[in-house]
Amino acid sequence: MLMIAGVIVAVILFGIGLLGMIFRRDLIIKLLSLGLVNGSVMLCLVSLGSRADGIAPIIRGPGNADYVNPLPQALVLSAIVINFAILALALVFVMLLVEHYHSTDSQRIEHEIKREREL
Amino acid sequence: MRHRRIGLSIYAIILVCCFCGLVIALFSYQEPTGQLGAIYLSRAPSETGAANIVTAIYLNYRLYDTLFEILIFSVAVLGVRFYLSDYREKEIVEKIPESQIVRTSADLFFPPIFLIGIYLTLSGHLSPGGGFSGGVVAGTALLLCAVALGANTVGKRFYEPTLRWLEWGVLLVVLSLPLLPIVVGRLPFTGLLPPGTMGKVISGGSIPIYNLLIGIKVFIGTWVIIHYFMRHRGEV
Repeated sequence: MLMIAGVIVAVILFGIGLLGMIFRRDLIIKLLSLGLVNGSVMLCLVSLGSRADGIAPIIRGPGNADYVNPLPQALVLSAIVINFAILALALVFVMLLVEHYHSTDSQRIEHEIKREREL
Repeated sequence: MRHRRIGLSIYAIILVCCFCGLVIALFSYQEPTGQLGAIYLSRAPSETGAANIVTAIYLNYRLYDTLFEILIFSVAVLGVRFYLSDYREKEIVEKIPESQIVRTSADLFFPPIFLIGIYLTLSGHLSPGGGFSGGVVAGTALLLCAVALGANTVGKRFYEPTLRWLEWGVLLVVLSLPLLPIVVGRLPFTGLLPPGTMGKVISGGSIPIYNLLIGIKVFIGTWVIIHYFMRHRGEV
């Protein structure tokens, strides 16, 4: 049940993030949407590995407790770090664009670039 | 412009459908509770000596992935530094107006937060934590300091120029450590140290070493990113 709910929420968030990336014109909001997409994928992976009454996969003693699947969590760890790296780098590019065009509006920036090329 | 938007939204819908399809495929072809995870859970404690199975996976069984993940992080930090060094540097970093509350709480909280970062880094094989989270916590402690004292003051104390060498030195050590066991005549990657008993502080083979190195790397990387953003934006 927890798993299904997590996956459904993940798909909804994925859709919201994707639409945000496409339809919002502000570059910063596009980046936030990218973060949302990334978060939804992480949520999907972690909830796929979850199970009812499962506990964190840290072994405290002998005996078989109900541990959740540790493999998706290990993969998500890489995803978190790479998300951080991508966001930092993308923010730098946005800063450079803002410095040059004084706007975070993607259409306006494209328009300015087109005009510069014509000149 | 309108056609492009319609095309893009169709593309988005197809992408969401693909995502749903992938999830359904995962459900139908493999048991979601995963046999592979069960194998890791049963074998990892004796094979790696780490109580935290997630750490055992990403620093032992899948160390190769993690090494390149560190490389990606380093390249991102390098990119931030490279592109921002062309960027017009603001003359003076405006100092935050002296606030007694911020100053006092920074004095109060900096040592414990930094200590928690070190603790998380060193106990990654026993409890939740590890190099990545510990490094980010320690970097955040420096951010708190920068908010209270101003980025330049902290930058002079922490960044120039030792950390630059430390950063690349740590990267070299992290990427060459997997080859060290070959020199000793053991299997590469994780054969350097014996697993030890699970649950002890010194256990887990080479996992604590990797955790420490990754912690230092992530700490410096986080601080470099924060510091460059502050210096070039001119504000915290």
